[in-house]
Amino acid sequence: MKSLLRQHRYALAVTLRRLISQPISSLTNLLVIALALSLPLLGASLLVSIEPVARKVSVTPELTIFLKTDAASTAAEQLAKRIRSEHAHQVSGVRIIPKDRALKDLRENPAWEQALKVLPNNPLPDAVVVAFTPGEDLAARADELARVWRSWPNIDLVQLDSAWVQRLEALLRFGKVGLLLLALSVILVVLATVFNTVRMQALSQREEIGVARLVGATEGFVRRPFLYLGALTCTLAALISIGVARGALMPLNDALASLARSYDAEFALALPSIPVLCLAVLSVACLGALSARWSVERNTRF
Amino acid sequence: MIEFQHVFKSYGQGRSILADISFKVSAGEFVYVAGPSGAGKSTLLKLIGGLEPPSRGSIQVNGQRLENLSARARPYLRRAVGVILQDTRLLYDRSVIDNVLLPLAVTGLAADVSRARARAALEKVGLSAKESASPIELSGGEQQRLAIARAIVNRPAILIADEPTASLDRETARRIMSVFKDFNRVGVTTLIASHDDELMAEYATRAFKIEPGRFADSAQKRVPTHKNVVLNQLPERNEPSLGGGR
Repeated sequence: MKSLLRQHRYALAVTLRRLISQPISSLTNLLVIALALSLPLLGASLLVSIEPVARKVSVTPELTIFLKTDAASTAAEQLAKRIRSEHAHQVSGVRIIPKDRALKDLRENPAWEQALKVLPNNPLPDAVVVAFTPGEDLAARADELARVWRSWPNIDLVQLDSAWVQRLEALLRFGKVGLLLLALSVILVVLATVFNTVRMQALSQREEIGVARLVGATEGFVRRPFLYLGALTCTLAALISIGVARGALMPLNDALASLARSYDAEFALALPSIPVLCLAVLSVACLGALSARWSVERNTRF
Repeated sequence: MIEFQHVFKSYGQGRSILADISFKVSAGEFVYVAGPSGAGKSTLLKLIGGLEPPSRGSIQVNGQRLENLSARARPYLRRAVGVILQDTRLLYDRSVIDNVLLPLAVTGLAADVSRARARAALEKVGLSAKESASPIELSGGEQQRLAIARAIVNRPAILIADEPTASLDRETARRIMSVFKDFNRVGVTTLIASHDDELMAEYATRAFKIEPGRFADSAQKRVPTHKNVVLNQLPERNEPSLGGGR
């Protein structure tokens, strides 16, 4: 056991010596891999930051029917009754938001308070919010009912409230697929870079490998420094890429903060959590070691 | 210790290098392998060191049959056989002592024990004062001695050397041979391939002579096959007459 540990320590020392002996080459490789890794990391930061926003908003489709402003005060109540009676099996709830309550709610928002003060009367219409019973054809059903209700009297606008959330979710799904493809491309870049680095190292260490075999080195002993080289290069590159992503998020967040403030909101991009980052670094290190093993097996057959 | 039974060696479809070689070397012998260039001396040594597999026949080294030896077990056999090739194959990017430390690193020996053993090996070959030097700074004879130190630092049971005194002056060659003899005296079975009959006769106790299609063993009294030719025992020291014709 001790002997094996000593061999690993020797392999690590050899790896560090080889990395240090070619500083420019080592640094270039590290930067290439680090920059490639920072791209999916930034993409992941964007996704992990947006996802909670989408999750906070209800995705249960609700539909708001705005009545004409000149409609009678009983029109909303009549509309609610008609919907309940004609579409009882398709709706799970109907509630009325009278225009006075809507105005009161709006006045409680400081952003609107001053603007509403100057208006002579209430510009808001009465509204009826309809919640649908869940089902597979929910989106199609909501669209169909919205089309029917638009033709009813006193109706000004029928708005599907959850549409933008569904669009955002679709965008997130698109983002996830894009990120996956980007990650796969980066994996290929990492594999190719490590493979080539190890290949060059193996060729330049040909003499040493030959002598080591001559004096009784096992193939494990010969390959071990190359596996460490792959794993160490990728670990360092992953850590650098986290630094690069963190550095890139700072100016991005400054710009985002200004944008969010204009909407009276707060939003900032953040790196994935530390356990996720640790897992990512470990995965990249394993990937580097695997690529190195593949390369060293192919390039030390002499 | 070493046993060849009807060993053949050829490369691909090309000519046969060794044909039907049979011999037995006991522990502690000092064997001189003679023969013209291209006769197969180096190949014979490489077969003993497990560096090349035989095409046919059976080879036993240090109690292990090489033809049955797995790829995983081969490195462990190599640790028992110290090899000094014609090209010393020193590593010029590291110091003299680091070259000697490599075989010990392979075995996973503790650093302090390794360093002590490497220093002892360098002392044995007279290179203690140059342990921090680069091999490139050493003379031809010193490089050869460094290769010997690297070969013996793992305390091998068998030492094989291919032309260790080639291109060295007589005095340096004798110094190198004395180092081999010292190891042989403590029980290391030694086989040396050389062209220098005179020098080898001073040190070796037995000789093989390889010629294309012929193999002669000075220890044999009779001709076992048409390919094995009897040589007389080597004469006493300082009377080199390998093959009886000198």
